[in-house]
Amino acid sequence: MANIRIISRLDIKGPNLIKGIQLEGLRVIGDPNEYAHKYYQAGIDEIIYMDVVASLYGRNSLEKVVQHTAQDIFVPITVGGGIRSVDDVRRLLRAGADKIAINTEATKRPELITEVSNTFGSQCMVLSIEAKRVEDGQWHAFTDNGREKTGLDVVEWALRGEELGAGEILLTSVDKEGMRRGFDCDLVHAVSSAVSIPVIASGGFGKMEHFYDVIDKGLADAVAIADALHYSKMEVSDIRSAALEQKINVRCLTK
Amino acid sequence: MKTENILTPQSEDSQAIAKHDVLNKYKLPEQVLFCKKCTMSNQRPRISFDEHGVCSACKFAEHKQKHTDWEEREKELIELCDRHRKGNGQYDVLVPVSGGKDGGLVAHMLKYKYGMNPLTVTWSPLVPSEIGRKNLDAFVMSGFDNILGRPNGRATRLMTKLAFQHMGDPFQPFIYGQQNFPLKMAIENNISLMMYGENGEAEYGGDMKNAYRPTRELSDHDGHFFSGLPPEFWLDHGLSEVDLHPFKVPRFEDIMANNTEIHYFSYYHFWDPQENFYYCTENTGFTPNPERSEGTYSKYASLDDKIDGFHYYLAYIKFGIGRATSDTAHEIRDGKITREEGVALVEKYDGEFPSKYYELFLEYADITEQEFHDVIDSWRSDHLWAKENGKWKLKHSVY
Repeated sequence: MANIRIISRLDIKGPNLIKGIQLEGLRVIGDPNEYAHKYYQAGIDEIIYMDVVASLYGRNSLEKVVQHTAQDIFVPITVGGGIRSVDDVRRLLRAGADKIAINTEATKRPELITEVSNTFGSQCMVLSIEAKRVEDGQWHAFTDNGREKTGLDVVEWALRGEELGAGEILLTSVDKEGMRRGFDCDLVHAVSSAVSIPVIASGGFGKMEHFYDVIDKGLADAVAIADALHYSKMEVSDIRSAALEQKINVRCLTK
Repeated sequence: MKTENILTPQSEDSQAIAKHDVLNKYKLPEQVLFCKKCTMSNQRPRISFDEHGVCSACKFAEHKQKHTDWEEREKELIELCDRHRKGNGQYDVLVPVSGGKDGGLVAHMLKYKYGMNPLTVTWSPLVPSEIGRKNLDAFVMSGFDNILGRPNGRATRLMTKLAFQHMGDPFQPFIYGQQNFPLKMAIENNISLMMYGENGEAEYGGDMKNAYRPTRELSDHDGHFFSGLPPEFWLDHGLSEVDLHPFKVPRFEDIMANNTEIHYFSYYHFWDPQENFYYCTENTGFTPNPERSEGTYSKYASLDDKIDGFHYYLAYIKFGIGRATSDTAHEIRDGKITREEGVALVEKYDGEFPSKYYELFLEYADITEQEFHDVIDSWRSDHLWAKENGKWKLKHSVY
């Protein structure tokens, strides 16, 4: 079994790292580079950069931020937000991204998933899904940072994404995001057991029990954490050692 | 809800609707200007612009951020609380709340930080939304006494219809009750201190006379919130004294005998709506709207009434200022977004038609689609609107 990855997620708006609750009420936290660097030093497995206003402007402004970050950070960086074409992907990969995440444009033009996957390999094509619970046992995909609904059923959409060539799914629960009350394990479980590609669970981490739950019950392959790290409620090393004690096979760092 | 016309009598002048003189009625400048710092225009009633093209709300924001001693203000608040504290189990402060983030913060801080015993008072939305009800319930469950005022639905509907026809704002009946019902409850419960959230005139642009003091004058009620028309206006239009009673302002001598003082929490505490959202998520079980509100991008403000979208839409028609303009303007002032982002958000969302509850609104107010559009168009001022290829378009925009 592959290692469970611990990923820090950095949502970015303009020059700032930001954080919301249910993707709403976005607080300015600070300089994304500084935070990314701190997490890298602390032994994070991967980093996600998400430009949350990219769809509004119809452009991704993360190139510079990524370029800067990639110079001295040597863990995989996933970049998302406002990516609409193979050219957009190429630019971000050249800037130093290892993977790219697509949400809005993929819901409008699903063949983009295949184009990216065929051009650069499925390992770099992450399908980002913002899921909101609509009724028990069902979730719909949203775009524009949880503002616009697509009407797509999340599980069906995830399956379709895999078919089209996505190599991984970044699954954000809008309901749980920023609430610190645990992941939507049912959601993660529904998607993880439907697809065979890895699923990154995002949204809801508040304490270690949430982490154990989303792996045991949700079958997540990776866990994205934002709030708890940005507000220094926990350190990456604490999370890792607690997970190891719980016999969860996260990467073991030897000093 | 029944669809037949239960809301008789019809007003006699509802046939052809002459254009309103919006410029004069609201004393608007004819030349449209946009604030250099935010997205607000000079068409917001009572706002002023300085010689550098900066609006009064932006200047107030700067004053509040840079030149206000908030520790000193907190001391003033504690003194005020001490002066009103009863300590005998009775209510000592009244806080009007909707169940939203602002009243929630005020009530929670007064009770749990400053040791007051607040009575919270809610005036029911015209057509409550599910999320609004859920939030009000969660708020009460988090530890508050609450009185919910619900007026006669038939009278409220008729007032809504008349207010839409005559004043171009279907929200008037709510505004009457929102202002007057808490005042009445204060008198009935012998509570002298009333604590509102923010001073909207100062925070969002308007009359600055109360911006630098904690209280407001009772005489402002009529001018600011009733557009110059007291509830009695409606007596002539088919409503009875009995219908109007819950909407009416209490007798002036009763207000005075109660030693009523109306204060704004925003004078004592740094007012930041986004931080209020965080506070209430943490403390009063507040949840944002599952979807953004039509006409704007936000999900945490003004979400408890299904038809308040029409109040905002009419403001967009009258002043060219939609919800996204108001929301972005204060988020820019609060340093949450850049002006560039604000402008993009205005372009994307401002003036979006509230279609989700359009049918519900027509049915609730008992008006036809034709009449709806006649009223809307009667409020389009020539200095703001022009028809282009058969479609109405704003002549001036911030984008």
